[in-house]
Amino acid sequence: MLQLSAITKTFRLAKRRKAAEEAVDPRERGRTFYALDGIDLEIPNGGVLGLLGQNGAGKTTLLRILSTSLKPSSGVVLCDGEDLTKNPLEIRRRIGFVSGNTGLYGRLTAREMLQYYGRLHGMQTEMLRERIDELSATLDMGAFLDRRNETFSSGMRQKVSIARALIHDPEILLFDELTTGLDVAAAESVLAVVEMCRERNKTVLFSTHHMDEVDQLCDRVAILHAGRLCFEGDADGMRQQAGESFLDKAFLKIIRAEPGEVAA
Amino acid sequence: MRGGVTTVFFKEMRDILRDRKTLLLMILLPIVVVPLLLNSLISFVMEQQKEAETEVLEYVIFGEEHAPDLARAFAETKRLKKTTIESQEKLVAAIRSDEIDFGIVIPENAASRLAEKSQATVELHFDNASSGSRVESRVDDVVDEYNEELTKARLIELGVTSSRKRRAVLEPVRLSEKGTGDIREVLGDNVGGMLPYFFIAFCFMGVVYPAIHLGAGEKERGTLETLLLAPIPRHQIVLGKFLAVFSGGIIAVLLNIASLGTWIAIKAGQLRGTLGTMIGSIGWLDLTLLALMLVPVAAMFASLLLSVSIYARNSPEASSLISPFGIVMIVPAVLAMLPGVELNWFWASIPVTNISLAMKELVKGTMDYTMLLAIFGSSTLIAGLLLFFCTRWFNRESVLFRM
Repeated sequence: MLQLSAITKTFRLAKRRKAAEEAVDPRERGRTFYALDGIDLEIPNGGVLGLLGQNGAGKTTLLRILSTSLKPSSGVVLCDGEDLTKNPLEIRRRIGFVSGNTGLYGRLTAREMLQYYGRLHGMQTEMLRERIDELSATLDMGAFLDRRNETFSSGMRQKVSIARALIHDPEILLFDELTTGLDVAAAESVLAVVEMCRERNKTVLFSTHHMDEVDQLCDRVAILHAGRLCFEGDADGMRQQAGESFLDKAFLKIIRAEPGEVAA
Repeated sequence: MRGGVTTVFFKEMRDILRDRKTLLLMILLPIVVVPLLLNSLISFVMEQQKEAETEVLEYVIFGEEHAPDLARAFAETKRLKKTTIESQEKLVAAIRSDEIDFGIVIPENAASRLAEKSQATVELHFDNASSGSRVESRVDDVVDEYNEELTKARLIELGVTSSRKRRAVLEPVRLSEKGTGDIREVLGDNVGGMLPYFFIAFCFMGVVYPAIHLGAGEKERGTLETLLLAPIPRHQIVLGKFLAVFSGGIIAVLLNIASLGTWIAIKAGQLRGTLGTMIGSIGWLDLTLLALMLVPVAAMFASLLLSVSIYARNSPEASSLISPFGIVMIVPAVLAMLPGVELNWFWASIPVTNISLAMKELVKGTMDYTMLLAIFGSSTLIAGLLLFFCTRWFNRESVLFRM
């Protein structure tokens, strides 16, 4: 189980903005920007948690903290009772992370890249070969596995990124806007991976802007707005709380009810 | 199973060696440029010498009748060809338009001054902006020879008949120079200052692209974050990357020196005279020591440029941040070329300059090997500190996720 208690993440701003600009974003206080502000969240093992929020709401920052690439400014994140910041190397063995912006090494082939990350995870050659074959079959990568990454389409790149995150068979998967920029067919095959992870009882945190994906995949939903958690429950709970049958409308109603929301 | 450092290192080397631009700067240029440059330099010097030996200078002379013996001396000198122009007023224009190389003007009073054993003045007109030295030295030779004959005649008239006495009158005290430096030392002092500059420049070039690619390039591609999620300590990632960048510099330097060594082996047999002797006296041991001297330099450059590169948001920013270091790197190398800057304990502690001075001493063949240890020590210490800084830098969120 992942437990987040009072997680706050601040960044130091390059220079103090003018008073008029400062008033626009309440998260800027002096030269400090509050990307996350007092997040409490419990994520049970297994199942898919959909992380929703507008651009800049703090979804990526939260996923980066969970992936250990960022440290929280205050608060504690426990993974099965173990503090994430105390033993990040051990946590990294259990986590796989993919974002829409995740890049590939253009001069390596997909296979070479998977081998690289597998070795970084301490995998033996034979085990690595078997795992690459398995992922290649699952993600239908056989046709381009030995081609250089720089020649790939967006869909192929995202498949390689996902394979890279799954190479060490992690228990927890953090997917940040996985389908951004993908065409319908590519998005469908990528979402099939999320489905597969759920079937294999992996814990998946899945940030997205697409409400149909939430309906299709997520067991639970958390909504972040301006660095704060403003909803936690399931999709039906969202509809009920907002009194809307369409999920996108329910989402908008929930975040607009939050203090600090700027009228569109 | 490989460790984290070797896994990162081998992957980075594979990545680097698949980039054409890096290959050009790291492999092709170091092999080709030094022999080409040295060949061009030697060809130019030899061409100049040959031209000086064979070139015929055209001149005009005015007032010939006032010093006919001197005019004859010019006329009898090989590779000087007398010609004429309309008038003395057009002398300057004729020189400027390259119609003639120089003009001699003997004033009216020259004959009387020479007759009464006084000093006569003869004017030499020439283009001192372009062909100055070659005209001046050739005319000097003619006038010197003429003066010598005249002096000899005048001294005989004064009763100084023997050549020994004449020398004693003309030069009461003669300075006999006894230089202790052998030919390698003398030429090494001149050429030896240049070589480190080339090697250091190539070492820098060999490091630049790998540093940009493996630092800022990772951010730009969006691969840095996934790499940071690998379950290995950050310092192993930095060390793997550092070793790859460092190897870039070392490969460039080794190829550079191997290319120079091959060139020396070929040219030493072909070139005669002092140049051939000097080139022939540089052995493979000297070149090996030269290569060793550059190891800490490559390490310093690799740590420094990797730190700068990882700070940059993208490759263009990294390039613009690294460019000034290219100029800064030249300064200590140039310092070693300045007169009076010799290898001592003070200079042995100044990075890059110490290496340049040591390389100069190696080429000269006058290296004090105890100094070599001090240089290695101080350079390695600085390289280590820079690497430590780079590792710390790699652990800072504000650097890795700079907005």
